[in-house]
Amino acid sequence: MTTQTANNKTGPTDARERPAVSAAGARKVAEREALSLADETSKIEVSNLNLYYGNDQALKDVNLIVPEKRVTAFIGPSGCGKSTLLRCFNRMNDLVDICRIEGEIVMDGKNIYDRDVDVADLRRSVGMVFQKPNPFPKSIYENVAYGLRLQGISSRRVLDEVVEKSLRAAALWDEVKDRLQDNAFGMSGGQQQRLVIARAIAIEPEVILLDEPASALDPISTLKIEELINELKRDYTIIIVTHNMQQAARVSDYTAFMYMGNMVEYGDTDTLFTNPSKKQTEDYITGRYG
Amino acid sequence: MTDTSPDLPAPGKSSKSLLPDHDRRQALRRKRMRRDKMSRWGITAAGYGVVLALATIFIYLFYEVAPILRGAAVTPQDSYTIPDTGAQTVQLLLDRYEELGIQYTDRGEAVFFNANTGVESQRFAMPVPAGARVTSFGSAETISNTAAFGFSNGEAIVARHDFQITFPNDIRRINPQMTYPLGEAPIVIDEQGSALRLIAVENMQRGAGGTAVAAVTEDGRLLLANITTRTNLLSGAVQVNRSVNTLPAVPGRAQKLLLDKSLDNLFVLDDRGQVHYYDISTPAQARLVQSVDVGGGSRVTAAEFLVGAVSIVFGTEQGELSQWFLVRDAQNQYGLEEVRQFNSHGAAITSIAPEYTRKGFVVVDAAGQLGIHYATSARTLFLESVAERPLQQVAISQINTGLLWLNDQGQVVSADLWNEHPQLSWDALWNKVWYEGRADPEYIWQSSSGSDEFESKFSLMPLTVGTLKAAFYAMLFAMPLAIAGAIYTAYFMTPKLRGVVKPSIEIMEALPTVILGFLAGLWLAPFVEDHLPAIFSFFVLMPLMMLLFAYVWGRLPGAIRNRVPDGWEAALMVPLILLFGTVCIQLSPWVEIWFFDGSMRQWFTDIGITYDQRNALIVGIAMGFAVIPTIFSIAEDAVFTVPRHLTQGSLALGATRWQTVMGVVLPTASPGIFSAVMMGFGRAVGETMIVLMATGNSPVVNFNIFEGMRTLSANIAVELPETAVGSSHFRVLFLAALVLLALTFVVNTIAEIIRQRLRQRYSNL
Repeated sequence: MTTQTANNKTGPTDARERPAVSAAGARKVAEREALSLADETSKIEVSNLNLYYGNDQALKDVNLIVPEKRVTAFIGPSGCGKSTLLRCFNRMNDLVDICRIEGEIVMDGKNIYDRDVDVADLRRSVGMVFQKPNPFPKSIYENVAYGLRLQGISSRRVLDEVVEKSLRAAALWDEVKDRLQDNAFGMSGGQQQRLVIARAIAIEPEVILLDEPASALDPISTLKIEELINELKRDYTIIIVTHNMQQAARVSDYTAFMYMGNMVEYGDTDTLFTNPSKKQTEDYITGRYG
Repeated sequence: MTDTSPDLPAPGKSSKSLLPDHDRRQALRRKRMRRDKMSRWGITAAGYGVVLALATIFIYLFYEVAPILRGAAVTPQDSYTIPDTGAQTVQLLLDRYEELGIQYTDRGEAVFFNANTGVESQRFAMPVPAGARVTSFGSAETISNTAAFGFSNGEAIVARHDFQITFPNDIRRINPQMTYPLGEAPIVIDEQGSALRLIAVENMQRGAGGTAVAAVTEDGRLLLANITTRTNLLSGAVQVNRSVNTLPAVPGRAQKLLLDKSLDNLFVLDDRGQVHYYDISTPAQARLVQSVDVGGGSRVTAAEFLVGAVSIVFGTEQGELSQWFLVRDAQNQYGLEEVRQFNSHGAAITSIAPEYTRKGFVVVDAAGQLGIHYATSARTLFLESVAERPLQQVAISQINTGLLWLNDQGQVVSADLWNEHPQLSWDALWNKVWYEGRADPEYIWQSSSGSDEFESKFSLMPLTVGTLKAAFYAMLFAMPLAIAGAIYTAYFMTPKLRGVVKPSIEIMEALPTVILGFLAGLWLAPFVEDHLPAIFSFFVLMPLMMLLFAYVWGRLPGAIRNRVPDGWEAALMVPLILLFGTVCIQLSPWVEIWFFDGSMRQWFTDIGITYDQRNALIVGIAMGFAVIPTIFSIAEDAVFTVPRHLTQGSLALGATRWQTVMGVVLPTASPGIFSAVMMGFGRAVGETMIVLMATGNSPVVNFNIFEGMRTLSANIAVELPETAVGSSHFRVLFLAALVLLALTFVVNTIAEIIRQRLRQRYSNL
């Protein structure tokens, strides 16, 4: 717990994070140059992942490398397994009784499905934002502080600092700084979703999973979320599931197209959208089915 | 319909529509409108009906309770001159049928007269010995119809008037009679033959029986004669045995003698407002115990026992009225103490007439005022001027519906009286009341007894406290179990197991409470009494054992743990709990032998804790069982309906399941859980059968878990069948019902307000 607190205070100067930040700065991630998976540092490696809901196989032999500090998008028609795959990264599928998983997901050299992995700890380092904004029935402040309190932080000063930092990072601070004690339900849908993102980044995850984060929002809010994603990828590895191909094209560096539980094609976004190598991918992105 | 424009293909031509045509649609619309209207009216009517039904219950209860708030009403009827104007009236009486008045005079005569017209109907003269004259008069308790006259030669006669009632031609006829229970021959009280200046008489009905006459002679000696009679069965002759003792001298000039019914105590009132209390339980060793100033410095002008001859009411020259009785102190010594005061009349009290069957009394004063007071409730029900002249005597009938009063010019007024519920007042119902014979003011509920002289004790405090006590212990038992069970079932349990557990617990709700009460009273209560150590082990060790099991389970190697699917761990506890329970029960007698000298119950008594077999613990468990399904069912729904996206959001932030329960689930479900608890509390407050059968129904005021209680609801169930319709007791039971309703109403209102607040705070999208 104390190291956690120290992390919060020292932030970027922390030894573990320093190279990451400098690397990000050097690469100037905002521009999309010719990207290639081969050049990237891998954050998560998925190998031979099979997932079953009872007798139904929802993911079939999925192999994937998620690069660090990049935005990776999963696209595909409804029911193709992209959300299921996303939920594998923070083991949310554990909550489903009949779900069974084979294969490996290695994050930073460690299989997250190993027996000695603490799920709660994993979920702290792999944050998640859901399709529907789900703030807790608490004040705005307490929503952001919730994850910190879970980690045993109760110092008012630390909480204040991290809450402000997170809200600023989520581009929400200026809108809510005067009503931090108001109930979070009083906010608009877009604000709520940004609050949820602030809540997720308050506990300094390494990876953020976004499960169709803008699908319940109006266009303006969607735009703000997308801008926010662009900001966040400087510090975090982001995986986003979307059924909006334009959104995938706009925000992601790499895109994976999934169909019927299979990872059909995976590559840098520009190539996938302009020159897909598989017929199925082309059919989907040109709108022949979906 | 017949539009055949080229753009729109006419329906029924190119493609026949299967939908109803215009006419049928219109008919359908009308039908729907009718149904809408009907249902609107029906639902509105039903809604108002419910409100009306509730209002009717309230109004009816109020209607039954309202009369207790009324004071007394006096309606003067007739006025006439007293039959014997030549003599001084020493006592005025009114018979039970309010037809005859009786005037006892200082000449030793009893004159019976028509109470409505004043026409004399009969006159009896006492057998005054030749050469003597009447010098004193004293009346025993009015209901005994007995009086004594003292004569100038030191002798006395005890007389008793009576009414012989016949119904010739179906018309009631009352024939007055005069009898002499100690024989017609006067009894010698003072051997020295001095005139009896004051006299008092009283009969003892209990025990050996007997009559006592106390007298003060002209030369100031205080005498006490104890008289027993034996009637010869053959001849009818009465043999009188008497023993006369001279008591210690009265310090002061005696004004009135008051002899109580146990013939143990004699009170002598002197002319300076002092009362001298003599203990005469052993007449030969009678002693003066204490002298008390009862007049507060002024002269006491009237003094009378209330019915039962326990309390004395003193009226002073200033018009002050106070009630006194003997109170036992810590040293077991009796002393006369002032219990309460009544509204002052402001003029010298001239006469006090006690009611025959209640602790009320009627007072007249020198300013022509009539006052009706009640002892227990300390109420003054009536205090008004009814005459211009000073009043001298007052009489009340046995059934408390008629009055007679006499002014100083011999004018009598008869009056109707309405005074049905004098014993109820806010103070009497809710505050401590000093009841006759008690050492201190107390909360007591004791509504009836075998004797007419009994003072009704209508304090709602013991019942209200009992109700809250029963509900409190039931909630103490039910709340943790039901809420924890609800959280576990809704949040941790596997859906399959939940599908079994939830309906099973909800079926408990259908268990008739009479069965629960019956089991609690006849099986559980004796069982608990015999196995007290086991019961305590359950409460203390069972949770510890569960925690230990959970800890050990968490430490077991995964190979064993993984055999039990998630959410089924609880099922493992069932055999363990049963086993533990059995062990506790089996060990219980041994524990009692080893640590409690063989009986824990006896040990409780020894260390000074009262233990009743049917106590709050039993009720807590039994009523807890009745309440658990209510709380469980609603709380479980509340927890279960916490949206998944909230719990997932919390889990995704790295919360454990327990942190998620505490941080998100419970706050979100709190309005529902709160309602569940309140519903349970409401049920516990109103529950009747269980408390009726398992509490012992003793109306005590305490929160001792090992003592019983009597609740408002059980009290109504027990006493309503036995009370007289329209009596004060009857009305007070309706008041109890109203209190119960109000209690639940207040609790529910507060609960609803809190619930609304919580809901506002934790409302979800």
